[in-house]
Amino acid sequence: MAKKNLLIIGSGDGGTILANSIDKSMYNVTLIDKSDKHVFQPQYLYIAFQGSKDTMVRDEKSLLKKGVTFVKKEVSRIDLNERKVYTTKGKPHSYDKLVVATGVTSDISMIPGMQEINSKYGDYHTNIAQAQKVWSNLNSFKGGTIVIGQSYPICKCPPSPLEGIFLAEELMHRKGLRKKTKFVFFTPYPRAYPAEGINEVIEPLLKERGIEVMPFFNIDRIDPAKKTIYSIEGDSVKYDLPIIVPPPKGMNIEYNPDSVRNDDRLVYVDKFNLKIKGFDDAFAIGDGAAVPTAKSGVDAHLEAKTVARILEGKDAKFNGRTNCPFDTGYGRGTFVIGSYDEKVIKYPVTHMNLFMKHMMAKIYWESLKGEFDSVFDIYFKETEPSRLEKKYGTGKE
Amino acid sequence: MANENRKIVDSRGTACPGPITDLSLAYRKSKVGDVIELWATDPGVKSDTKAWAEKTGNKIESVTEDKEKIVIVIRIVRR
Ligand SMILES: Cc1cc2nc3c(=O)[nH]c(=O)nc-3n(C[C@H](O)[C@H](O)[C@H](O)COP(=O)(O)OP(=O)(O)OC[C@H]3O[C@@H](n4cnc5c(N)ncnc54)[C@H](O)[C@@H]3O)c2cc1C
Repeated sequence: MAKKNLLIIGSGDGGTILANSIDKSMYNVTLIDKSDKHVFQPQYLYIAFQGSKDTMVRDEKSLLKKGVTFVKKEVSRIDLNERKVYTTKGKPHSYDKLVVATGVTSDISMIPGMQEINSKYGDYHTNIAQAQKVWSNLNSFKGGTIVIGQSYPICKCPPSPLEGIFLAEELMHRKGLRKKTKFVFFTPYPRAYPAEGINEVIEPLLKERGIEVMPFFNIDRIDPAKKTIYSIEGDSVKYDLPIIVPPPKGMNIEYNPDSVRNDDRLVYVDKFNLKIKGFDDAFAIGDGAAVPTAKSGVDAHLEAKTVARILEGKDAKFNGRTNCPFDTGYGRGTFVIGSYDEKVIKYPVTHMNLFMKHMMAKIYWESLKGEFDSVFDIYFKETEPSRLEKKYGTGKE
Repeated sequence: MANENRKIVDSRGTACPGPITDLSLAYRKSKVGDVIELWATDPGVKSDTKAWAEKTGNKIESVTEDKEKIVIVIRIVRR
């Protein structure tokens, strides 16, 4: 049988895993990205709150297996009806099968006042330079109120806003500034962490460390002159140092038909087979897809593996499994483990869990090539929510 | 009502962070007078929506439940 052309747009976590996984005897694989550098985004947290000098960036080509053609180009338009992908330069690409894995970008224009504070104080969800800005501000901080939270109900890596405040609190403690610093965490959700199971694990830690939580706080606007953040719900909080997670938005790519995306520019897909709504030959995975699960690398990974199997003609279904590592400071952590049909587990905070988080980062580059697939298969089986539920439960209703 | 702006938010079978994300998002994008019909399977949505309505001063018009889903109808009266 003649080989088919598989075109993958975006060589981040999801796109790279898919390109490496797919059977090259069945497909000619072309991977397009506007950048030829691969950034391990979870490292932004450690650049911002621990001043890590290791930026964790590699050349994309060094991460690809034989048989993948990498093209450095920016995609401007995806025509799903014509099966053509247009780039800002050069000829359009045709395909037999398409996978969109373009991730999200930060949209600071959505919230009045956000632009000003974002450029002054940085953030840890956009790029390395912004994360370094957070670190330099934290480093020169001498006391006052540190306010951390997400500015939009959707957030890349749901534990990351809390990880930020836990690590900031630990930092001030270590610097001897804890008594001079007040910590406020705001969230649009009813409690610090949206899933009850994990919230029950986290809340005692927030109390113990004196971190104030403002729930149901959806940012409406920020007044930089008054150093105050206002919520739609009618509350406000004053800051000396704000570290605010910007709203994520799908990439600015034109689509035909336009109706495949929602107003956050995320692509509508079937949540089980990841096919773009209305199309049998096109898929979307990772942060840029409107999949009702956490925007995390683990999900991009599992979605990529699902699509690879489907493209190879095998049976596969994505179950929404999450496995988000959660650094709770002082050398301990937990994982947010659940799925579409299984509630998040009340998974304990331990040193071992943080060790696991760091180990997963250490083996990231190799795992993109599938070198740890068999270990991950066992890991995901051993940590299936239905298994863990018996031991740890899921918290109250 | 003929020209009522009713939005169905289908949050059935969603993984973490779950239906409260969808409600919060729909609220952000709503105007006074809008009606949000939230569909969910996670029973936690009932107490969360109640707490949300108390906090924001919005109105829960009905909560109905069958084997397939929980439907909560919310009228936005404050934004
Ligand atoms: C602070 C922080 C901590 C995190 N911690 C964790 C963690 O502990 N565990 C975890 O699993 N996940 C974590 N994540 C989330 C994880 O990084 C993302 O979910 C993951 O990178 C998503 O993968 P993706 O392939 O969908 O998108 P990305 O990895 O963002 O890749 C998208 C790619 O598409 C390319 N692209 C975009 N537009 C175009 C275009 N028009 N033309 C061509 N190319 C384009 C981009 O250049 C990029 O290379 C964290 C994220 C942050 C910010």
